[in-house]
Amino acid sequence: MNKMPNSLQLLSGNHAVSWAARLCKPDVAPLYPITPQTPILEKITEFHAAGAMKTELLTPESEHSAMSACISASLTGARVFTATSSQGLLLMHELLHYAVGARTAIVMFNVNRTPASPWGFWPDQLDSLAQRDTGWIQLYSETPQESLDTVIQSFVLSEKLNLPCMINHDAFYVSHSVEPVDVPDQGLVDGFLPPFAPEHMLDTNVGSSFGAPIDQATWNRSRKEMAAANDLVCDEITKIGREWGALTGRSYEPLEKYRCDDAEVVVVTMGSMCGTAREAIDDLRNQGIQAGLLKVRLFRPLPKQALQDALRGIPCAIVLDRNYSPGTGGILHQELKSVMYGQENAPKIHGLLAGVGGLNVSAENIRDWVKKYQKAKVEPESQWVE
Amino acid sequence: MEKMPSPLWTNSTSLERMTGTWRNALPYYKNLPSPCHGACPVDGEIAQWLLQVNKEDHFGAWITLVDNNPFPSIAGRICHHPCETSCNRTNLDETVGICSLERFVGDKALADGWAFAKPQEERPEKIAIIGGGPAGLSAAYQLRRRGFQVDLFEARPALGGLLRYGIPAYRLDKSILDQEIARIIDLGITTHLNAEVLDAKALKKLRENYDAVYLATGASKPKALPGLDYCADYVLDSAEFLAATNAGEKCELGEHLVVIGGGSAAMDVARTARRLGHRVSVLSLEPDELLPAQRAEVDEAKEEGIGFICSSMLKSVVAGDDGITLRCTKIDFKPGETRGAFSMSEVDGGTFDLTAHAIIPAIGQDADIDRWTGMLNAQGPVVATDAKWQTETDGIFAGGDLASMDRFVTQAIGMGKHAAVAIAGYVCPDQVVSQPDKGAEVPYKAINTAYHPKEQRNAQAHLMVDVRLQSFKEVQLPLPEAEAIKEAGRCFTCGTCTLCDNCFLYCPDVAIKKVDGGYTVDADYCKGCGLCVAECPTGSIAMQEES
Amino acid sequence: MEAIKYEENGQFHSGHVACAGCVEALALRVVLNTVGQDAVAVVPPSCTAVICGGYPFSSVKIPVFHTTLESGAASASGVKRALVAKGKPDTTVLCLAGDGGTYDIGLQALSSAAERNEDILYVCFDNEGYMNTGGQKSSSTPLNAVTGSTPAGKLTRKKNMVEILAAHRIPYIATASPSDLNDLTDKVKKAKNIRGMKVLIILIPCLPGWGVADDRAVACAREAVNAGVFPLFEVEDGTKYTLNVKEKVQPVNSYLAMQKRYRQLSEEKISAIQADVDEDWQRLMDKTNGR
Repeated sequence: MNKMPNSLQLLSGNHAVSWAARLCKPDVAPLYPITPQTPILEKITEFHAAGAMKTELLTPESEHSAMSACISASLTGARVFTATSSQGLLLMHELLHYAVGARTAIVMFNVNRTPASPWGFWPDQLDSLAQRDTGWIQLYSETPQESLDTVIQSFVLSEKLNLPCMINHDAFYVSHSVEPVDVPDQGLVDGFLPPFAPEHMLDTNVGSSFGAPIDQATWNRSRKEMAAANDLVCDEITKIGREWGALTGRSYEPLEKYRCDDAEVVVVTMGSMCGTAREAIDDLRNQGIQAGLLKVRLFRPLPKQALQDALRGIPCAIVLDRNYSPGTGGILHQELKSVMYGQENAPKIHGLLAGVGGLNVSAENIRDWVKKYQKAKVEPESQWVE
Repeated sequence: MEKMPSPLWTNSTSLERMTGTWRNALPYYKNLPSPCHGACPVDGEIAQWLLQVNKEDHFGAWITLVDNNPFPSIAGRICHHPCETSCNRTNLDETVGICSLERFVGDKALADGWAFAKPQEERPEKIAIIGGGPAGLSAAYQLRRRGFQVDLFEARPALGGLLRYGIPAYRLDKSILDQEIARIIDLGITTHLNAEVLDAKALKKLRENYDAVYLATGASKPKALPGLDYCADYVLDSAEFLAATNAGEKCELGEHLVVIGGGSAAMDVARTARRLGHRVSVLSLEPDELLPAQRAEVDEAKEEGIGFICSSMLKSVVAGDDGITLRCTKIDFKPGETRGAFSMSEVDGGTFDLTAHAIIPAIGQDADIDRWTGMLNAQGPVVATDAKWQTETDGIFAGGDLASMDRFVTQAIGMGKHAAVAIAGYVCPDQVVSQPDKGAEVPYKAINTAYHPKEQRNAQAHLMVDVRLQSFKEVQLPLPEAEAIKEAGRCFTCGTCTLCDNCFLYCPDVAIKKVDGGYTVDADYCKGCGLCVAECPTGSIAMQEES
Repeated sequence: MEAIKYEENGQFHSGHVACAGCVEALALRVVLNTVGQDAVAVVPPSCTAVICGGYPFSSVKIPVFHTTLESGAASASGVKRALVAKGKPDTTVLCLAGDGGTYDIGLQALSSAAERNEDILYVCFDNEGYMNTGGQKSSSTPLNAVTGSTPAGKLTRKKNMVEILAAHRIPYIATASPSDLNDLTDKVKKAKNIRGMKVLIILIPCLPGWGVADDRAVACAREAVNAGVFPLFEVEDGTKYTLNVKEKVQPVNSYLAMQKRYRQLSEEKISAIQADVDEDWQRLMDKTNGR
């Protein structure tokens, strides 16, 4: 397994992530195990033990310390990778803010899992969506191949903009499902991902320090600069996704439209549910219903303009949220409503709480919901569906 | 795409922040006199030269010493060392052995042949000095250093006065005396030996031929013990005894001698007599603990087998066939307010007899003032002088035992120095220097004793008693160099900056800067905490309130 | 008199905002000057964070990363690993933390870094409480000390951090005091040349927090050492104990008397403190003697 293959391999989503990490050659990889992220860690430690990965592997006592080490390593000019899930991500919360404020370029993989309590280990995106105000770039992946490709693209993006990036895929549905994955050649990745050379870092020759207490105006300015960087993300990830496509034949966009061109109704969702939705759309089309799918790959920063352009003129949008934010409902639902607010020719937007807690959502379910809600009166609240 | 410049990395140092504005007091460096300096009759910069010894700069130490006293070897042997009594270190453990260190430096100078620098200029003014004892020699030295022409008149055949004729060799080896005197004379002083200035008329004539005269003829008249027949063959005055024995002459006095008195001279007589094989008893008015001699002298005398009969007074003497009987009485002695003053009463039934062969009264000497009648007046038992040691005759100055009751060798040396400064100013107004005010001395509490761990004083080695009694070899032995350096290191160096860097290195604000020969406080940053003052081992920094 | 021998190399600047007379600034000055320029520091919130910084100024010459309160050792590990990965394994990585960030909230990360034997020099400026927030108790606050959160005096003893660290069997642990700068300098030098985890705990009498006069912090630390309240010693590999100041030369009374946090202590409470100090001293003696 030391020999880097350039052909297809049968990989789980998590092992595809480990392969991506290996190809990106992070200088430092602080890792703490948690179900269902653990296979990512174990494959990396396997690579490391076998000498196939030269990274400084750091196995601290908590995700909190893992993220602390990520931040300081990144500020020291190191390429940094880590992975977590659910409770681990929530434990990091304080530091997720810190990582962005420090303008690090950390790439983190998160396996979406229900947060406790009660204890559960099921696919649900609340863990990462709850971090939406931290300022991390958030990307949601549908398949093992996409997870691999997105990790590689994220390093390019993060290191260019000095914004940390979190890529997410759903527990088990993606993390543990196996498919043939094209693992690109190391040379290809080396050519695609330039060395990390931040302008500011902890450099003994410079002696400049980061994180000293500041005044109100400087804090304010730091947020404006963060906003300016965020404004660049959507275009940048688009460019990077297309460049990757040119090299590998697999091109990526912040939003992916499936049969949306003449659609009367569009399903909007993220992550593994997109695959199921695609099947449902095909069925619906076969039944003569002009349905389409809008896959949200980039959730933060929210690609507002792209969403508005994609949905303008479509009569009905049905958002499937595999998460529940108490008091608000489905998070993507709320986000979409706010993006479309005041837009001309905006669709009516239904929000469905679908598969919260990891419940299985079948193509049949989606097909039924589309039929039902396309004609239904729009409720402002997200609706629980099964 | 252009990278966003990050505004969050520091780009400058805290030096732009002037924390000196927080302060309400600023430290300053001060050189305050040490208590030893305050007590020293010659204003010897003791803290300074001890520091030099400790840093193994022995020549530097000698230069500092001889600025004030040309006799470090002598003073290091016989000074009554008020410096040691006043030493701040006595509050911690024991005084620094200053005398032994002065002797160390003085002896090193003699051994290595260090000479005084010649005067930088020759001046025409002529000064006559009458009396070649410690005061006269000290004055001669200080005046000659300043370029004046000095004629030194001594009544006896050799210079030294009391040093030569009063101090026994076991305390001061004569070769030391000779060398330290020779070194002074080598500066270019004209000496006139066997040249006694007999009376006021001679003095007047001398005054006419010189720009100024310094009179330091000492106290040559023995005090008389009332009721004692000085003409009796069993009585010999102490000064005569010491002069004779110091000159190597024999005195036929019989086996058992009674020395009357409790001062240094009495000890010198007793111990000299002991070395000449006599049995010796000391009879003193003072109780043992109040004997005016230095304690070491008393202790050494006892070691040498001298008997002490204290709190006792001689009432009469009866001469017999084989010796004499001294009829004595016990007294109740009460010291007075000033040195030398006392009151006493006889103890009822305290009469006792003492048999002996001879009596040597050693109760002190008086100045011979009558000789100068017409020129000089008396002020009590001494010649009247003003604050600058000038007598009531213009241009005639006086000092030493003639003009003071402070009858110590180093007091005389100090007086000679002070008179020389005054004479220089008198004959040459451009050389007037105001005597610096010694100022408040550094108190013990200003010393941070954390830097001065307790350490016993070097118990300067002494000759074994049996060896002492067989010769006039010096009792006190010199300190070896390593021990001297170590002993000098016990000095707190009160009030003198030792450039130890404590203030520089302790400042939490890096606000002490090194400058040539010391330190300065950077007022831009000093917050006025006073840590430098607290951690100064020598009490050389203080805080000054700022408005 | 033994001269203080640390070299002033300009690693620490005037103009920082420590309280007048603060010996944390002094200890920082000694540590930084002894470590030199080839170093990176990680600083969790603490008085040292305030002293080092105040954007856009820095009072230290080396780069400093200000991290979160509980992350000191983890962040320092991250810096060290990054430097190793970038081919600079010899650069010293310092973690400069307070006792809150060490004994309390940072203990988990510290324990883990110790267990991993990370190559960092962790310095705890131990002022026995949360002094930067105005003086509340930490687990380093000693018995009977009054703080903002223990107005009647703390009911329990100070946590024995050295023993906790010794149990990790790290290469080097030492205590140090601003009253013994040569000892501190020697320990920093020694620690700098050891690969692996080194922890230095420096007692920092806090002027406002302990109620000590502006010019007395060094004297207070000296009393602590002399009374055996804060013994100066080293532990190598968790087992080899060496005492640097060999004697406990005075009772605790004068040490307590110079601090307002111990004001109005009953004789009984003073005796309780003395008993604790004596017991701890004996335990330390036993360890020093290999028992």
